[in-house]
Order: sequence, then structure tokens, then C-alpha cells
Amino acid sequence: MDRTETPLISVRELSKRFILRKKREPGALFREKETVQALREVSFDIARGELVGYIGPNGAGKSTTVKILSGILTPDGGEVRACGKVPWKERKSYVRRIGVVFGQRMQLWWDVPVLDSYTLLKEIYRIPEKSYRERLGELTEALDLSGLLRTPLRQMSLGQRMRAELCGSLLHRPELLFLDEPTIGLDAVSKLALRDFLKWENQRYRTTVLLTTHDMEDIAALCPRVMVLGHGRKLYDGTLQTLLGRYDRLRTAEVRYDREDCVPVLPEGIRVERTGEGYRLCYRPETLPTGELLSLLQKAGPIRELTVQPQNIDRMIADMYREMDL
Amino acid sequence: MMGVKTLRLYLSSMGILLKSQWQYPASFLMQTLAQLVMEGGEMLAVVLLVDRFDHLNQWSGGDLYFFFGLMSVTFYLTECFGRGITGQFPSMVRMGHLDTLLVRPRGILTQVMCSAVDPRRVACIAVGAVSLALGSRMAQVHWTLPKALLLLESVFCGFFLILGLFLTEAILCIHSVKSVEIANTLTYGGRSACQYPVDAFPRPLRVLFTVAAPFALVMHVPASRILEKPLFPWPTWTAWLCPLAGPAVFGLMAFLFSRAMRSYRSAGS
Repeated sequence: MDRTETPLISVRELSKRFILRKKREPGALFREKETVQALREVSFDIARGELVGYIGPNGAGKSTTVKILSGILTPDGGEVRACGKVPWKERKSYVRRIGVVFGQRMQLWWDVPVLDSYTLLKEIYRIPEKSYRERLGELTEALDLSGLLRTPLRQMSLGQRMRAELCGSLLHRPELLFLDEPTIGLDAVSKLALRDFLKWENQRYRTTVLLTTHDMEDIAALCPRVMVLGHGRKLYDGTLQTLLGRYDRLRTAEVRYDREDCVPVLPEGIRVERTGEGYRLCYRPETLPTGELLSLLQKAGPIRELTVQPQNIDRMIADMYREMDL
Repeated sequence: MMGVKTLRLYLSSMGILLKSQWQYPASFLMQTLAQLVMEGGEMLAVVLLVDRFDHLNQWSGGDLYFFFGLMSVTFYLTECFGRGITGQFPSMVRMGHLDTLLVRPRGILTQVMCSAVDPRRVACIAVGAVSLALGSRMAQVHWTLPKALLLLESVFCGFFLILGLFLTEAILCIHSVKSVEIANTLTYGGRSACQYPVDAFPRPLRVLFTVAAPFALVMHVPASRILEKPLFPWPTWTAWLCPLAGPAVFGLMAFLFSRAMRSYRSAGS
């Protein structure tokens, strides 16, 4: 992170609440209202060229943040400056400099070839012809879209559609790219292609990327920095490794004996499950060093196979959410 | 909202939308036919009325066809080219499509206008045009250039009046994130009532359609001048001035719309 530069995005004590009107209870005179505090005084800076992951359980306020930062929503309190502008006040001049991709929402026209959509986007953003041609050529190559330009969106697979959407949101060369769950529903190949592309775009143009996701591998592969949001509060801001280091305490061991009737005797507090041919157990090396565990296991009989693995990253995140009481 | 570039964007958008609709030609043709039957039925009501009563107040059968035609042409032109506002807006809010417009560097109303067109309405417009021609023939209108221009002005201003009235629904829908059909009572009620000259109605309705939803000023004043049976004993130049009430209503509603967008809440994640 380049700390001498002023940050590209600067967010201070951002707050947003929604008022939900509940259904009227039978017999009640008025409908009850419920205030949901979607964001509570969230602050952060993002420097130009950073790739930042934004995670948190459903309903934590991730999408609300992205919507405020992209000028769709007006916050109730706090300050935002992005590309030197206040998004919701200078919407038109601001959105010219950003790109937004919603994983669950299509932005291109459904029934016409994507090339037609791009031509219209060129007009909407008033992109000069030469710049448009160069950029389109470059993006179609990087996103492997050249065979698809004449295909209507409705005939594309989800992975192709996401690549086409990404191309559409980058034609006007935005400095800042917001991605709201871009890999949702994609197969492994499409996910990898998308990640490679984002890395390429970030390295080549120093495009700043803020990415919300539930896929921890997206974060691990792309984002040196991660922010965790829960109940509208920022709970963590730093590297993924440091975050996981705090929760990465459990190991999973799988053991198989020569004979089926060997039953290991283990101290309390260790979760043991019987699998098809052996046992799976979860332990903390801090309290039960692996060497001790091994000798306990060996007492039960001759071991044929033993594997020890770090915890699944999703499980770690789930533990973290639980510990943070989310 | 106007401007050459905006107009060009509008035309390109129409191109892409028509291309999309033409992907399903059979459905398109059938629905156009259905519209023709529907609007033909509306006109039949006027035909029967004229057949039975011959005239309504000082208005002859030809005059009545003329008024009906003017309303049909104007209303369905609006529904055709202003479909984004007259029909699609509530679902754009509900499905979150409005979000995608907000992240593009153009005015929201412009983009809403650019996001839908309803070419099936051509059938209704054609019925209106036939009625207009029939009426002007039967009433023996002596066409001059000013009269033709006045008719054009009336249609143009009527377009904005109706668009403005439809914005009521859009504004309510920004607040409640669902379609509020009741907001269109004035709009559809105005269309049904004001296909007849406004002096056919009792005083409260006359006031309603002159002041609140000024169909009378935008359509009936110039039309009655073309038919040479002025609705109000006002000087001739007022026939040119009155239709401007239409764009004025639109301007006011567009202002309220942009105010309402500040409290837009978006939907979904």
C-alpha cells in the first residue's frame, strides 16, 4: 500500500438505517415499524491499486456499503470521498469513473447480441471511438469473449454471462471497480478465469478493486487485504493470513487401523466420528500436541493410514462469525 | 433532459429494444392485433353515441370523433414511447434494475425513458388517427398551417402531460417499493373522461380536468379552436398558450421525482 498518496476511497463513520414496515398485526391500529441499522460508523481507507476483499455473513451490510460507494444509496450519516467526489452528490461525474458488477443482477440487454449492448454503453459513457475499439479488443481477448460477441446474453451460460458483464463494466476504463459477489454460482474453471482476469486488470491499470464474496478462495487468491463486516460494524481490517491465524487452531486427523475392531481411547473434549473404515477427529495441537495424540492412537492397534489436515477455510470463517457473535 | 446527444441515445436505445422485441415476432403480432381490437371497441362506444344522439351540447358527431382521436393518438403515443415511465417503472424498482441505471452517467429519467418502448401501441395510435381524420372531415375543418401546428403542439404537450401524471405512480413507488395502481386513477380516469369535451361533465370534474390534470387546457382548448367552436370565450392566442400546461405539469413532477430519488432504498442484495 502506498501511504504517501491520498487514499482513493476514504470512508468515515458511515451509517445507514432502513425502516422496515411490518405487516399489521390483527387488531392493531398501526403497522409496527422496525429500524434496521445496516451500517454503524464504518470507517476505512483504500489506496489506489489495492485489491480489497469485503466479507461478512448475509445481511452484514456489505451490499449496502457497495451501494453507497457506487452512488445508489444516500447514507444517513458519515462521509465518503471516492475519486475525490461524494458519490451520491456528484453521481453523474462520479459513476463515469467507476465500474460496478452485481453477481445477481444483469446489466446488459438480454435479447440482443452483447456487441449491441457494448455499442449502447459506448454511447451512454460517451467513449471515443478509438478508445472504445482498443479497449474492446483488449477485453475480449483477456476475457476470451471473441467467439461470443454476436451471441445474445440469454443464450449464454452463467460463466460466459459474467465475463460479458465484466467486459461491459470495464469498457469506459474505470479507476475503481466494485464487484458484488461476482463468482456466485460459477463453476471452478469460470472462477479461476475470473480471478486471473481481475489480477491482470489490477496489475496492468492499477484498477482498484473492492470485492464482496462468500467464497474465501476468491479472497485467498486475490486480496492481500480483507475487511470483515458484521451487524453493520467493521470487525477486522488486515491481511487474510493474520485473520486466519487467530482462528486456525484446529486440525483434523483421519486414522485407519489394520483391523476394524481397534477403538482409540482419547481424552474428553476431542470430537471423534466414525467414518466408513476408520475415525475422523478434531483436536487442538495447543492442548493436545500431535505427538501425544499419535501415541494414544497407536495404543489402540497398528495404524495403516494417518492424515492430518488444517481446518477447512469456510469452517474457520464460520467459527470466526460465531465467536464474533454474528 | 433534451439535447442532441440525449436524443441520439434515445434512438439507439429504441433500436436495441425493438430488435429485442422482434426476437418474438408471433407474440408481437398477436398482441398488436389484440390492441387493435381493444381500441376499436373504445371507438365503437363513440360511434354508438353519435349514432344515437347526433350531438352532445354544441358538439356534432364529427367534433366528438375529433376529440376522441386526439386523446387516443396522444395517450398511446405516450404509452408507446414513454413505456419506461408509464409501465415499467414499478418493476424496475422492485427487481433492482433501477440500481443499474444509477451507476451510469446519465439522468435517471432519461435512462428510464430509454429502457422501454411499446410498439404494439401503434395499433391504438392508428385507430386514433383514423378517428381524427374522420372527425375533421365530418366537421369540415378548413385546415391551415397554424391549425396543423396547433394540433401538433397539442399532441406534443399532451405527451408530457400524460408522462407527468404517470410520474405520480413512479414517485409513490420509490417510497413504497411496490406498484401503487391507485396513483394512476387520475391518469386513466382523465383519458376515459377527456376523450369527450370537458363541458360535457359537471363542474367538479371540469375543475379537476382543467386545474389538477389539465387535459382540457392541453387538448380541448386547441381542438375546439381548430373546430372553430372555442370552449372558452378567450382570445385566440390563449389556444397556443394553454397546452403549455402539459410540459409545466411534467416539469413539476420531474422535480418531485428527483427529490424522491434521494430517499430511494434499493432492493435485494
